[in-house]
Amino acid sequence: MPKHSPPKWADRFLEWYCNPKLLEAIQGDAYELYHRAAIKNKLTADVLFIWNVLRFFRWSNIKRSSTTSPSNLMMYKNYFKVFKRGFVKQKGYSFLNVFGLAIGIACFLLISLYIRDEYSFDRMHSKADRIYRIHEIFQSEGVGERSASQPFPVAEALLNDHGAQIEKAVRLFNFQAPTLVVSTIDNKKEFNESRLFFADSTFFDVFDFPLIQGNPTAALADARSIVITESMAKKYFGDEDPMGKFLKFQGTQNLLVTGIMQDIPLNTHFQFDFLVSFATLHDVYDPSVPQQWHWYWNPCWTYLLMKDQEAAAAVQSAMPAFVQKYFPEIVRNDVSMELIPLTDIHLKSHMDYEIQPNSSLTTVYVFASIAAFVLLIACINFINLSTARAAKRAKEVGMRKTLGGQKSQLVFQFLFESILLCVISVVIAVCIVVVTLPLFNAFAEKKIDVAILFESFYPGLLILLPLAVGFLSGIYPAFILSSFRPITALKSNATREKGAVFRKSLVVVQFTLSIILLIGTGVAIDQLNMLRNSDTGFHHENVIMIPVLRLPIAKNYMSLRNEFLRNENTLSVTAVEEIVGAKHQVGNYLFEGMEVSKPFPRLNIRHDFLKTFNIPIVAGRDYSEDMITDDSLALLVNETLVKQMGWTNENAIGRKFSNRSNRMIVGVVKDFHFTSRHQPIRPLVLDLNIRDQGFDTFIKYMAVRISGSNVSETISWLESQWKAQMPGWPFQYFFLDSDLEKLYKAENKMSKITLIFSGLSILVACLGLFGLSTFTAEQRKKEMSIRKVLGSTDYEVFVLFSKQFFGLILIANVVAFPLAYIVMKQWLAGFAYQVNIDFKLFALAGLSAAAIAFLTISYQALRAAHNNPADILKTE
Amino acid sequence: MKGTNLGELEELVLLTVGVLYKEAYGVAVMDEIEKQTGRTLNISAIHAVLKRLEDKGFVKSEMSEPTSERGGRRKKIFILTASGRKSLEEANELRNQLFNQIPKIAFQRSLKYQV
Repeated sequence: MPKHSPPKWADRFLEWYCNPKLLEAIQGDAYELYHRAAIKNKLTADVLFIWNVLRFFRWSNIKRSSTTSPSNLMMYKNYFKVFKRGFVKQKGYSFLNVFGLAIGIACFLLISLYIRDEYSFDRMHSKADRIYRIHEIFQSEGVGERSASQPFPVAEALLNDHGAQIEKAVRLFNFQAPTLVVSTIDNKKEFNESRLFFADSTFFDVFDFPLIQGNPTAALADARSIVITESMAKKYFGDEDPMGKFLKFQGTQNLLVTGIMQDIPLNTHFQFDFLVSFATLHDVYDPSVPQQWHWYWNPCWTYLLMKDQEAAAAVQSAMPAFVQKYFPEIVRNDVSMELIPLTDIHLKSHMDYEIQPNSSLTTVYVFASIAAFVLLIACINFINLSTARAAKRAKEVGMRKTLGGQKSQLVFQFLFESILLCVISVVIAVCIVVVTLPLFNAFAEKKIDVAILFESFYPGLLILLPLAVGFLSGIYPAFILSSFRPITALKSNATREKGAVFRKSLVVVQFTLSIILLIGTGVAIDQLNMLRNSDTGFHHENVIMIPVLRLPIAKNYMSLRNEFLRNENTLSVTAVEEIVGAKHQVGNYLFEGMEVSKPFPRLNIRHDFLKTFNIPIVAGRDYSEDMITDDSLALLVNETLVKQMGWTNENAIGRKFSNRSNRMIVGVVKDFHFTSRHQPIRPLVLDLNIRDQGFDTFIKYMAVRISGSNVSETISWLESQWKAQMPGWPFQYFFLDSDLEKLYKAENKMSKITLIFSGLSILVACLGLFGLSTFTAEQRKKEMSIRKVLGSTDYEVFVLFSKQFFGLILIANVVAFPLAYIVMKQWLAGFAYQVNIDFKLFALAGLSAAAIAFLTISYQALRAAHNNPADILKTE
Repeated sequence: MKGTNLGELEELVLLTVGVLYKEAYGVAVMDEIEKQTGRTLNISAIHAVLKRLEDKGFVKSEMSEPTSERGGRRKKIFILTASGRKSLEEANELRNQLFNQIPKIAFQRSLKYQV
């Protein structure tokens, strides 16, 4: 007997790759040569053996599975047939399984569609990866503004200084006015339009919005030209061809229609119906205003088309010098510039003066985790139901093994079944998505087309999904089922229940996830309500806002106000720069004790502002109509500003500003929320502006507070007065409180969607629980019957049966509470004002999960309790 | 690809299988070739050729009794088949036929050169 043996790993490698039919002869020869060589030297023998093993590694010797052999095909047919029979035979079980998975997958698909849409924003442009927007951050010690828009001359100066990096620049401008008036020449059709921009002629070079008619390079080249969308063409011109016709802008200028665009898709961060050539502004915009002023006011959203990606970094790093070179001295040190890629704007940009509210990454993450949760819960259902049912198939497994079935074949068979089931589920899920997508679109405010499911990566996903889900949820049951020993499996009926602990822990996981979702939804709704309902510090009910910017209202303002006030239901009339409670502007102020002026949030107002919005004054006095000098010599500030300056409310009165002895603070107002509650209250200056020019850029709204009675009559009164004073101008208004609702739209939408999906997650979890309780009832029915025969009451049987499931829900609650608390604390940390997490909510979520679970199992529990023992026991 | 042509190595191996009669398995064939011709071949090459010959039907194989030097593994013994024998005869005949047609003069010259 030889003493030596060749290297094990080489031997194993040979055994692994070698075709079993050839193995014996090959291995034998290799061993013989080895032993022969080993007599002289073990090392050379080892080397020789390894060398031989490597030399034997050739195509003709390698093990190849012959997958296409007829016997395998027959096995597939057999698997399919067994699957079909099992599926049809146990309709209830199959339904639970398929339906649960289908709901899970449908949720997953819907949310993935939503997320895909969020990420598709602004990517339709061929040069999207080279387009950047430039932001102006104008802040001193955290106070000021983070502006999405830029001063007028920035684009030109950038092109001039950095022409090597920047290919094109385009500015968008709309006076930051809420609406502008557009009409046909004959004034027959006249509308307030909110989606109108002035745009540079380079607009269509940078963005790829397709023109149906007109020349993209020339359409915006000349002054007084306008490009409109298809639906606007229909709105103003009906069936006529609008090209070459005129539209009247703000009642004064005639604009030539030079192009028709397709309607703007929803997934752009700015929506518009009209584009007016920027050159037109030379008529509107006063060129005599000093250059200083041009570099201070920043109303132009400025987009840059870079030569390449590196150019953006180069321009970004050149920005500090650029600011020093151009910006006026008073702001130079407080301004910094920031480039943001176009495709990041929708999810990552949260500046002041965004064109329209953007979405946020947090929402995307929240939705993505909900999608994963629901899918996971559905998969767990599948695992639980399959393993619970394992006993039923024990005999089949035993028989297959006895007849020579390999374990690997059985694993494959069960995986095959679960994947097949998932394929069915995916088909149903797609149907669910197709049916519910319009509904989903409606409350997610999207326009997602079903066709997307059959485009881009979705076909791949739809194929991959059943494979992945089927594999994930099938692998454990497959191993459990295939590991039955044939003898025990065939011997008796009473195959011991396997993996009960595992199954129970999975149920705990399911309910933990569901309870976390429920609590999360509850906290989100609480937070939303807190933001929406808590006191803003000013009166916003029954306040009517009338957009007036750039209307010829200056001369008529006083008389209009007096006319309005003649109605007894009109309580107070004022005018203000922005929507109070939503937006503000920023101005530079130099207060006593400061060396240089700093940016402060500011609202330009007219008299009676405090009265209209019912904001109390805590020290000093309000602006008075009797003091004509108030316009220039007096200021109102809020408490936070006083605090920040280190004054007290009382000694703030009389403090100087602008370094002049006659200019001073005359009053301090109580803090109120002049922006959404996503931000804390910051310093604020209320600046009286009663000059006529104020209506050109500063005063955007008239605000009228009315009493709560006879609202519609009051409004028609206001309208008739408006018509009398402002003939030819449409009367447009909105209620302040309904407009303020929009501030929390994102939260509102998110809480609605999470509510629905967390409800669905509970539903799916309950489907699983129902299935599980059904099988447990089936398994324990003899036990229960015997208990009854021996004297248990129905009630005792009921309790015994439902107890085990209640235990699981209890554990789920215990696990879910701290997790939910931590997660929600994290989420709330993103808000300036956070709702206290209400522990009643936890109890509510836990109890409702328990209640729903109780309803689910009580059907089976009742059946178990009410069974007639004679019926069950006699079958034995 | 199961042509009936015999390659040079195939012919050599086939002849050796015939020579070894009942004792022809991988290592033995390798040793015999080395002994008879001085050519050292790798065992894997021998196996490949034997497999090819079997596919062509020139040899058939059967398993022997297990031996201890092979770790209890059996040998795969190759035996010449009738068609193998026939193809050897044909090859031999062809060679002789061609050999005999070589003119004497060329033969001598070539012999001279060879020496």
